[in-house]
This record gives sequence, C-alpha cells and structure tokens, in this order.
Amino acid sequence: MITAALLGNPNTGKTTLFNALTGLNQYVGNWAGVTIEKKEGYMGKGIRIVDLPGIYALDTYSNEEKVSKQFLTDGNADVIINIVDASNLERNLYLTLQLKEFNIPIILVLNMMDVVKSRGINIDCEALSKSLGVTAIPISASKRIGIDKVKELISEGAFFKTSSENGFHLSGEKEAYAFIDEVLKKCVKSSGKKQISMTDKIDKIVLNKYLAYPIFFLILFIIFGFTFSWVGQPLSDYLDSFVQDGIVPWVSMLMSNSKPWFKSLIVDGVINGVGSVIVFFPVIITLFLGISFLEDCGYMARAAFIMDRIMRKMGLSGKAFIPLVVGFGCSVPGIMSTRTLESEKDRKLAALLVPLMSCNARLPVYALFISVFFPKNQTLVLFSLYILGIITAFIVGIIFDKALFVNKEEPLIIELPEYKLPEFKDLMLHTWKKGESFLKKMGTVIFSASVIIWFLSSFNLSGLTDINTSFLSIIGRFISPVFKPLGFSSWQASVALLTGFAAKEVVVGTLGVLYGGNLKNVLPSYFTPASAYSFLVFVLLYVPCIATVATIKKEYGKKMMAISITYQVVLAWVMSFLFYHIGSFISGLV
Amino acid sequence: MSINDLKIGQCAIIDTIAGDTRLTKRLMALGYTKGTKVMLKTAAPLGDPVIINLRGFNLALRKKDAKNIKVREL
Repeated sequence: MITAALLGNPNTGKTTLFNALTGLNQYVGNWAGVTIEKKEGYMGKGIRIVDLPGIYALDTYSNEEKVSKQFLTDGNADVIINIVDASNLERNLYLTLQLKEFNIPIILVLNMMDVVKSRGINIDCEALSKSLGVTAIPISASKRIGIDKVKELISEGAFFKTSSENGFHLSGEKEAYAFIDEVLKKCVKSSGKKQISMTDKIDKIVLNKYLAYPIFFLILFIIFGFTFSWVGQPLSDYLDSFVQDGIVPWVSMLMSNSKPWFKSLIVDGVINGVGSVIVFFPVIITLFLGISFLEDCGYMARAAFIMDRIMRKMGLSGKAFIPLVVGFGCSVPGIMSTRTLESEKDRKLAALLVPLMSCNARLPVYALFISVFFPKNQTLVLFSLYILGIITAFIVGIIFDKALFVNKEEPLIIELPEYKLPEFKDLMLHTWKKGESFLKKMGTVIFSASVIIWFLSSFNLSGLTDINTSFLSIIGRFISPVFKPLGFSSWQASVALLTGFAAKEVVVGTLGVLYGGNLKNVLPSYFTPASAYSFLVFVLLYVPCIATVATIKKEYGKKMMAISITYQVVLAWVMSFLFYHIGSFISGLV
Repeated sequence: MSINDLKIGQCAIIDTIAGDTRLTKRLMALGYTKGTKVMLKTAAPLGDPVIINLRGFNLALRKKDAKNIKVREL
C-alpha cells in the first residue's frame, strides 16, 4: 500500500483534485484531539490518499499545521502530492521548500495552468522540476486537464526516480523567498501586460463602502429563503406530512390487531423517531449547497472581512456570522456550519452560541403564549424574544471568550482568493457528505432519544398508560419545584419542557394533552403574563433540542456537549427568574 | 511608520515586523519579508480590517495586527 499525502495552500483546488483522484471512494473523519476534518480516499486498490488541511507553512503554530507536520514526521507518507496555484507560485512554493525537508518524494502539481496561459505567462516545468528536485506536472483541475497524468504518475511510482535529497535547508523566510525568486526568474517568463482582473472588478462592487452590507444581506436572504422558505423547509414539511398522514395511518391500520403497547412502540416510537430525523435532511442539504457555493466561489472570505469588526466584539471572527444567522432557522445546520470557521476557538465558541439564536421550532410556543397573554403587543413581544437571544449571545460570547478561551485570540489572516465559478461536482459531493454524516452519526442519537422520550411518556411501572400518569409525569412532578421561583410551578409545564427536549415545538402539543381542552382558555388559569413571559424566556434559552445536542457531541465531543447543556440550563433559569420578577414588579405597578 | 499609515492604493517597502511571534511567523511565511513591496489595497466598510496586496495576492488583516508591519516609503 502506498500512502500519498495531499498538501497545499488553501484555495489551490486541493479539494477538486482530491475528489478527482478518489471519486466517491472517500471517508471523512476527525484528526485525533482536534476539530479538524480528516479526509481519506483510495485511488485504485493499493493507493491511499490523505487530504491534509490547507496550510501556508508548517511551523506557525496552528493546529492545522501541527496535524500536517505530525503526519509527515511520523513517516506516514510515501509521497507528497503538493498542489500549488501556478498563478501565484511565489507564495505557494514556500510550503514546497518546507516539504523538501522531510526527504519524501514530491509531486508538484501546478494547478490553474489555464489562468496562467490566459495571462500570457509561460512556466518551464522541466526547469522547475530540476531546480527544486521534484516532479512537476501542469494541470487544470477545474477543466479536468492533466488529472490522468497525475494518476498515472502516482500509480506507476515514477516519482521515486526524482532525487529527493535535501539541499534546501534554508535558514529563514527571507532566504527561502530569495531562493524562490531566483528559481522563478529562471523558469517563468511573462509576456502579458497587467490588466485589471475580474476579481478586482467584482471586489470594487462587493466591498464598496455603501453596497457591501446590502449585498451581503441580500445573499444571506437568498440562502435563507432557499433553505427555510423555498426549497429545504417545504421538502421537510412534505416529508413530515408524508410520514404523519401517509405512513402512520397505514401502519396503524395494518397493526389494528396487535397489542396496544406494540402498536404504540412502532407508530409513536419508531416511526416518529425516524420522522424526526429525516425532516432535518432536506434543510441540511439545501443549506450546505448554499454555504459550499459561497465558500467555493470566494465570497465567504469577503463576508468574513466585512463582518469582522462587529463579530470581534463577541470574541468571534467575521465568518462566524453565518452559522449564527443560520441558527435562526435551525440550530443543527448552524452548528454543522461552524466547521468552516478558521480557528478552533471560533468553531467552539460559535457552536456554543448558535442555540441562543431563536430557531423556527420555538416559534409555535411563542405564538401560542403571545396570542393568549399579550394580544395587544404581539409583534413587540415576539421581537423582544429574538433580540433577547441576540443580546444574550453577545454577553455570553464575551464571558466565554474571557473565561474558556483565554489567550486564544488568533490574529485574523484571511486570503481573499480570486473569484471562480464553483465546481458542480465538488458542491454535490460536499453537500452529500454532510447529509450522509448527519444521517449516520446524528440520526442514531436523535432516533434513540425520541424513542426513549416516547417510552417515558407512554409507560409507568404498571405498563402502558397515558402521559398524565407516565414516568415523565412523575419526573415532571418531581422537578416542578425548581421552576416555582420562575413563576410556572405546575407539573404540566415541567413535563412540557422535558418533552421539549425532543424538539421545542413539541412543548405546545404536550401542554395541549396535559391541560386538556382549548389551551387559549386553559392557560390563563396556570400562568400570569409575567410567568408566561418567563416561560417563553426559558423556552428560548434552555437546553437545545436532542438534535442540536447530538450535533454538538458529534462535531465537538462530550465535554462541549456537557458545557452546552449546563450553561444553557443555568442561563435559562437565571434569565427567567430575572424576567419573572421584573415582569411581576411592572405588572404590579400598572 | 506602519501599513496603517498608508493611503488606500499607496505602496511601500516592508522594513520590519514587530509584535508577537505567532503573528510575525505567520506573516513571514506568507512572504512578508524585509524589502518586499506592499500595497494597502482597501479597507472594510467600517474601516477595519484592511486588505493588503503583496507578492500578487490579497490578504485581510486587522489594523491592530497590521500596525506591526513597519514600512518605509518607496
């Protein structure tokens, strides 16, 4: 088995090359101990290709670099495939020189040769190979030119013939760049004259003082609409109603002769459990299609650039704005998209804050209570909850930034790549992999948790029962004193919050079952306006739903999951307590 | 003077890079070495961060980091 390590700067077409070499034959995981994606694939039978993170150098302290360096020092790689942007060789070759020090044969893949040619630049690959002691191949990954040659070279093992002795131990960055300049002078001839590039023209508009934010919000609006209004959510709703109105009645009919507990297990437990997993799927797929598009075309770096000033206030970099906004639709894809952030601190902090953005599932709860208790100020009260979530996120962000991530402030260094049309194949593959990993990793957790909640709400020690006398109601009665200081001490409210852990919109349904009758008439006998608002604040801030928790655990591990759950419960309690007492005080005055 | 003192579109030559090693090391690896020509390309709508052009590519940096890049006029 030959192992090839694929290395290169960000934005060099590394992913495109990796996809072209391995096809669907790839596996995504995590590097040990860090939240950096590890991708591996096979090219034919005997060749393993490991896609190392996109980096500019090997010795500047980032986790991405440590992971890559460790991989090479451990002697895991038989050959390095170093992909470089041929239109920017100067900077790209710096990494190549560092790679030379490992004494591993290097295949230098010069990508974007079509761009180079169109600029009237000529690169002498043979001379380059000789001066660097590598095997250089010109390709154009997006146009699928030269990929077969790369494959051929790897599978024939021809690269072993190139000398890999190390004559390149350079004392510092300045010497390295001087050496590169020397090499490039010999190997690169430019005949074209400088012209204003397409990228500069687009940036003039996209980064314009007055247009930058309107354009950014328009793009967000389109992606949001695509995900939650036009395509993703409607598909989810369709799937949901297909399960509820199509499959459930059909299975119930088939099982009409079975024992009631068994029927309940299949219909209310299993089918609903599966349903609660698959309804997320279309939303995740559509959202990631949008995000991958922004990422691949080069706009994401610009978004990070214009939002940085604002996001920095809460300890995050500009790019973290996107996951937070996505969180207003649904926390699950929001947290999944924190993966795309530059630093580990950003990823973790953003993942902790995303659930504070009020997601769609909380809306039915707000709608019910607001229509009953605040009929005159509906919009204002609703708006206040969303704003409360945002303000809380800012405050919590500042606190966590100081407390959990001390001295982790990374300097913001983002390259603004040339704009390009994303590769359709890469987009599809990336999106599919996201969806697949959601179904595999989180699906099982969400499914089992839904089944457990079903069990707790349908059984007690004497067997099948209704929710009023179930295990869940026993737990609810047991914990309800905790909520007394918050103004809602009825055990029904506690049980509703417990079932809300399955999905927040379930709170409404549970209250309906438990209080019985028309909620609009019943609720005022259990809640005052102050305790209703306090309840809504609690719903806004307390533990994210199972799906969110499962996502945090999958992406960031058990410890982060524990932090997320604990801080949100404490936060929800404290804030509800405050709002209940402030609310009671105000309504006492009126 | 530092990069922050340049006008938009103005070029200069890098003299030294001050600041902590995490930052200097990363910038040096990107080719921010002594004697290299840089240009302050543009600033974000709120004035910070800024975009610096060097060795044919654009890099966004916060002003508080960019002030560590000391330059002299051409």
